[in-house]
Amino acid sequence: MDVHARAQDYTESELSGMIEDESELTAGVRIVPGRSYGFFTDTTVCIGCKACEVACKEWNNLPADNVGLSGHSYDNTGALSANSWRHVAFIEKHTGQDGAPGVRSTNKTPYQSGWLMLSDVCKHCHNAPCLEACPTGALFKTEFDTVVVQQDICNGCGYCVPACPFGVVDLNTLDGKAHKCTLCYDRLKGGLEPACAKSCPTDSIQFGELPDLQARAEKRVEQLHGQGVSTAYLYGTPGAPGATGDLGHLNAFFLLTDKPEAYNLPSAPTRPANRVAPSLAAGLAAVAGLALTALFAFNRRS
Amino acid sequence: MTEMKASTLGPEEAPPAPPSATGGTLGQHREWQGPTYYGRPQLKQAPFNNWVVGGYIFLAGLSGGSAILSALADWERMEGTARRGRYLAMLAPTLGSMLLVYDLHTPQRFYNMFRIAKSTSPMSIGTWILTGFSLFGGLAAGLQFLADRMPWRRWPRRAARAASLPAAVAGAGMSTYTAALLAATSTPFWAATPRALAVRFGSSSIASAAAALSLGERPGPRQRALDAVAVAALAAELAAASGQHRQVEQAGVSGATEGRWGQAERIGATGIGTMLPLGLHVLSLAEGGHPGLSRLASWAILGGGLMLRVTTLGVGDVSAQRPETSFRFAQPDNLPEGKPRRRRLAAR
Amino acid sequence: MRTMEGIVTILQESRFQLTDDAGVSHLFILGHDTLGEPDQLEALQRRQARIRVRYTEPRNLIGLVAHSVETTA
Repeated sequence: MDVHARAQDYTESELSGMIEDESELTAGVRIVPGRSYGFFTDTTVCIGCKACEVACKEWNNLPADNVGLSGHSYDNTGALSANSWRHVAFIEKHTGQDGAPGVRSTNKTPYQSGWLMLSDVCKHCHNAPCLEACPTGALFKTEFDTVVVQQDICNGCGYCVPACPFGVVDLNTLDGKAHKCTLCYDRLKGGLEPACAKSCPTDSIQFGELPDLQARAEKRVEQLHGQGVSTAYLYGTPGAPGATGDLGHLNAFFLLTDKPEAYNLPSAPTRPANRVAPSLAAGLAAVAGLALTALFAFNRRS
Repeated sequence: MTEMKASTLGPEEAPPAPPSATGGTLGQHREWQGPTYYGRPQLKQAPFNNWVVGGYIFLAGLSGGSAILSALADWERMEGTARRGRYLAMLAPTLGSMLLVYDLHTPQRFYNMFRIAKSTSPMSIGTWILTGFSLFGGLAAGLQFLADRMPWRRWPRRAARAASLPAAVAGAGMSTYTAALLAATSTPFWAATPRALAVRFGSSSIASAAAALSLGERPGPRQRALDAVAVAALAAELAAASGQHRQVEQAGVSGATEGRWGQAERIGATGIGTMLPLGLHVLSLAEGGHPGLSRLASWAILGGGLMLRVTTLGVGDVSAQRPETSFRFAQPDNLPEGKPRRRRLAAR
Repeated sequence: MRTMEGIVTILQESRFQLTDDAGVSHLFILGHDTLGEPDQLEALQRRQARIRVRYTEPRNLIGLVAHSVETTA
């Protein structure tokens, strides 16, 4: 077993207090303000246990909503929302090896069954559209390079909701504020690994410093390719699908084995703020032209 | 157990090809034909109340346009028109602001809008445009009121004319920033046509203002001049609408326009709100100004202006709700050509 | 509108857990119509103040919405 040397300091099962820099033990990374942190979600090892969803709700004191069954495989959460900041997607593949729909294949590539599972989360985009759209400054970039809504500033205008290209940010009409994953901002400040990553039993969700995670992810893709899973690719790393349209990289990125759309992710999202200038310029030019026309019409009135 | 290798695959079972982002299921102009997640929406629709926000966008355009036309009218010695325009421009700062605050989900914190100014957020830009517009427009209207009360004094009228100029500049922003606000989202129908939408909103604003001012005029040269402005604005709006529809189709998101909102847009905003008044005004002007036709056309323009804003919001909601539309919009062929960063790198 | 008394045991942003006299914990969302701000709850939690919450039960949510929070003597 690969155990961090510092684990030797804690031989008792009962601890007298908080472990300092606990993330060093649980995630192998020390949390230092000023560095970039994120999630690497490796969907090939996700088993759909939803521990991440539960851990998130427990830590963040989020209520359960949409009580009932969706009929969509094991997914009764449905989507990321104001009350669900982790969402495990379940995709049952009903296509046989020859591509025939409705037929389960009897032969699979290694490490893949007829199931695809993915624990979805806020991507904490580099050029975050929600942050760029926020007119109050409630959304901000933290010292850990993550994107958080400050609840004491948000006035519930709701503009961040359509701004998000991933459909993550949601407005809670009960408290009138926008909500989304904070990448456990409070835990990071206390030196703790985010709740979802810490609870993940298969390390499908890995927390760490972004450059480390990206290198780890590249290696994992190579490994999978070597094992015959040629469909494995990264989503959200620089230059990959998901990190398109000037969004920059995504701090929470994924390893996928099917089209992004199968997981309810867009292939080529764009940065909405890039549309502000062309839109304003075209509109103002049209209004200026019509104003000149009006001046002419008023001048030549008869 | 990690020793399972590719060789365990039978020779006839070649590993599937890596999924390309486009996936080959993408036909030009067609909707997304590939997989969706149980047909669930991929995006969240804006939590705006379409009639409240649409009403504000309409009032912002009407007021902004009025400020512009009243400044121009003053310049051309149409003092009655200028006067009515200044009063009309107060609709957005008063009723419009109330609608905006009403649509907030924590309205008691509306003042947080004034914490910052952010160029990437059209809502922040708009906050400051509305603030400037309220200031100068309010000043112009107040001075106009003084001028009306003290016709023997010259300075209030002159000062009102001076205040009209910055109000008109802010008015141009008021007529168009709302389109930039919608375009700078990930909602496919709005994001697909940033320019055409802004031209459409801007032209509709001028048309609405001309229509409202025309309704306040007696039949005569001034009304004909305003109706001529409306004709020009409606022609521009129609051109922008056709451009918008073409681009929406090219981006593959026209599926969102097939429902009721799309129908309301075609019939209410384009048909009754643009084409009909364009025809009526042309008929009226050909006759040297027909008061009945002019009035009917003006009301149609105002109704159409409101419908344009409300239906644009509605079709946008539909486009965000349909994964076939949002996935199609987020395909590589819809990426802006030559991302700025790439261009810079290539230039080095 | 119903009321409940207890102490705040967990606080996260505008969501808090109220533990009543029977030791049962309830999850609350601070409604948008409350006059106070969430950071005021932090002080109440810190000094384990006894509070009275007026609340409603929203549909389709396992949680309650607080409409007013006041300290009791």
